Amino acid sequence: MKSNIQVDKDRVRPDGVSKVTGSLKYLTDLTFPNMLYGKILRSSHPHAKILSIQTEEAENLPGVEAVLTYKDVPGMNRFGMIIPDQPVLCEERARYVGDAVAAIAATSIEIAEKALKLIQVEYEVLPIIDTPEKALLSNAIKLHPAGNICHRSSYSNGNITAAFEACEAIVEETYELPRQLHGYMETEGGVVVPQEDGGIYVYAATQHGFKDRFQLSRILGMPETMIRIISSPIGGSFGGKDELNIQPYAALLALKTNCPVKIHNTRAESIRASLKRHPMKITAKTGTDSTGKILAHQVKIIADKGAYATLGPAVLDFAVEHAAGPYIIPNIETEGISVYTNNGVTGEFRGFGGNQITFALEGQLDRLANVLDMDPIALRRMNLRKATDLGPLGHRIAPTDSAALVLNEIQKLSESSDHQQTASKWKRFGSGIAIAMHGGGLGFGRLDSAGGRLSLNKEGKIEISFGFEECGQGLLSVIENLVIEEVGCSPQDIKIVIGDTSVVPVSGSSTASRGTSIVWQSLQKMKEPFKKKIVEHVSSVLSIPHENLYLGDNGIWEIGKDNGPCMTYKECAEGLQDGTVITSFHFPVTPDAVNGGHFLYSFGGVKVNVEVDILSGKVKVISINHVISAGPVVSPNGFRGQIEGGGVMSLGYTMMEEVKMLKSQYVTHNFDSYLMPNIVDVPFDTNVYAIEDLYEGDNYGPRGVGEIGTIAITPAIVKAIHDAIGCWVTKLPISSEEILEKVESRGMLPWI
Amino acid sequence: MDLNNEVLENPIATNIEPMIKLTFTVNEEQYEIQTSPTEKLIHILREQLNLAGTKISCGIGRCGACSVLLDGELVNACLVMAYQVNGKSITTIEGIGGVTFDEVQEAFLTEGGFQCGYCTSGMIIAVKYLLALNPTPTETDIKEALAGNLCRCTGYGGIIRSVQSLSAKNGGI
Repeated sequence: MKSNIQVDKDRVRPDGVSKVTGSLKYLTDLTFPNMLYGKILRSSHPHAKILSIQTEEAENLPGVEAVLTYKDVPGMNRFGMIIPDQPVLCEERARYVGDAVAAIAATSIEIAEKALKLIQVEYEVLPIIDTPEKALLSNAIKLHPAGNICHRSSYSNGNITAAFEACEAIVEETYELPRQLHGYMETEGGVVVPQEDGGIYVYAATQHGFKDRFQLSRILGMPETMIRIISSPIGGSFGGKDELNIQPYAALLALKTNCPVKIHNTRAESIRASLKRHPMKITAKTGTDSTGKILAHQVKIIADKGAYATLGPAVLDFAVEHAAGPYIIPNIETEGISVYTNNGVTGEFRGFGGNQITFALEGQLDRLANVLDMDPIALRRMNLRKATDLGPLGHRIAPTDSAALVLNEIQKLSESSDHQQTASKWKRFGSGIAIAMHGGGLGFGRLDSAGGRLSLNKEGKIEISFGFEECGQGLLSVIENLVIEEVGCSPQDIKIVIGDTSVVPVSGSSTASRGTSIVWQSLQKMKEPFKKKIVEHVSSVLSIPHENLYLGDNGIWEIGKDNGPCMTYKECAEGLQDGTVITSFHFPVTPDAVNGGHFLYSFGGVKVNVEVDILSGKVKVISINHVISAGPVVSPNGFRGQIEGGGVMSLGYTMMEEVKMLKSQYVTHNFDSYLMPNIVDVPFDTNVYAIEDLYEGDNYGPRGVGEIGTIAITPAIVKAIHDAIGCWVTKLPISSEEILEKVESRGMLPWI
Repeated sequence: MDLNNEVLENPIATNIEPMIKLTFTVNEEQYEIQTSPTEKLIHILREQLNLAGTKISCGIGRCGACSVLLDGELVNACLVMAYQVNGKSITTIEGIGGVTFDEVQEAFLTEGGFQCGYCTSGMIIAVKYLLALNPTPTETDIKEALAGNLCRCTGYGGIIRSVQSLSAKNGGI
């Protein structure tokens, strides 16, 4: 394992000791006196009218404290981050197998499960729509009042028809991407505790506490001020816990029973009800002139939304934006459509539509290189964006030459001879590269509030606070390292406060690779006013010129006196009237009014080596090299962890993961039939190289890297397979059967 | 209804079972509790003994989040029933280390062997078990020993570095 990342900033994560000793209480580990257990009854059918719901028998079971249906929802019986179209508890219709019909609170899980079976729901089964294509037929039954189209998104520039006529080489392909499970190890869950004032405390994982509070307020018909969301730590999320999941049910049950109510989904319950990565079908037609200059690129995207919208519209917008990636394409036409079906709900997932579209884009470039008999890297370089070129939607973005820097590093890696070959004549080896560009933040036209708070608290700690969540990504380390760097204190002087709406400022959501960026930007705005307040206080008390004072380990030091601080933070806090600085700002956006267009982008490149067994059709990834350009590395372990982890998540997406549905019913219910990479599937030869330079004049600091490590893996693996056996894969996950078919069709086995 | 759905619809036995007196040791502390003989060890640990360091994720023995040592053997606590632990000794993550950190915990801290931390308790137990049998594991040994423990965050890189650093310390490659 190689890396160029300096490890001098490596510190033990603030949450490290509690995680390795098992002493950290996750929100699903909490218990409270008189706590009840909640369970949710979900629809027996993917599509049905609900004729009646009988709950008496369940209510009469000893130990059952409450059984709720839609009639018990006091406020708006809907949730959903962009379009609130998902019922909390279904009224007259169920649209997928995760739809909640009733909720139960009982004194034990066993009783709650038994009570679930005593609820009688009379259904009238309706025809199902199990593919987006069926949903788009003119005679298709409408899943929502406005029809089956959740969202459309498009972008065009130039004249695509004329441009294709001028092309010398044209390739056209349809790429099929599966439904992926987030696979966070901690399933959704938490406890809602009613308060004496009639309000509630919600201890449940979410990526955006304030958004949960807003949605719960509407559902419960309760002012937001009476709802407190405690939302960290989280046992993994990857986008999957951004939308409400168990919170409304636990809240309704807690208010009804006036007892704390815990719901912790089993894995089977989680798979049934949770969000998934959007399956997409992407058709791309791309043409170049004889030198390899791309003239035209036409893309059609159909996304399977499942039953409800959640963040789906934004995911589609993101895919449309990234259709051209880091390339300058003069004539482009991208059309996307996100379609309701009776399948499982799809939503936010690390990469946010970038993975799917980049598979298509990089796949097209590799095919063109093949047709033109060109080096794939040379083809990419010829079409690559320059530092001050416009962004993919024709909008201004923060100038960046990262695309070229990443490609240069990838080229160097490709030139180094690292072919690992064994003697077997049944093994074929290949390597492939791919690059990607990924927008951070929510994009133009979307409220993307950011901010933070820095204060010297009464205990003499430098308290830094954000509305973010520690999902496991290492945000606490990022905050700690940046405060040490920017303020000058030591780790012992810092108290980090996050994940509790009652005590944190609004920072927006822990999503869209925005966390690190916002922490850095907030500190740039807060550090000088904060230091000034402290230094001026010390200066007036000790009569030392303020320009001779600076913040350091354990307190405020005087220049030239190294024997200790002239005043400790504790002493300072006792006399300081107001040691608080707050900042509130908007995430950097493009000055051009292009909806959803991003301004800050990160870049990544990947080189992989694979081994294809032509007897079994089995593909093994034998090495992964990542090159990431996202500005300075803030937390070395966190950076590597995010890139390596993201890469392996995409390796799984490419090679083995699919949450299968048959007739809109999940075929997969647990980790026995949903296979995620285990340690055997990952190459020990995985290396991460960071390009830390920012473009001259860039004042935006480090970008988040939660997503960029996931994007380019898939096309790189597919290209490596092509390199090994000369065949293109267009459908994920890659199956041995498909590889064998291709091997046979090419006559690579002597007896065929 | 096919067998698969039947099993899913009836995930647990809800009939009232006779209770047994269960006597066992957890982290060198004696416990005596009343429980159903088929109650899962994971629920006994997490809910009855409030030892929530052991995590539950798949509940069917596929992810290893609930790994504990049972009389020194590595087991999934979600697959072990109460009657099977009667008179036996269990070590959970709370029993690893003490005043100072155990070397495995130390390596995980230094090398970034965890992120969200939810697989970490089970992973550390599995690494402890591996090193107890083989202080200098090779790549193949590491793969074989940790194949039953899923981690969704790290991509295993930090975990691999943690184990390799310990192997090197013990004289391995």
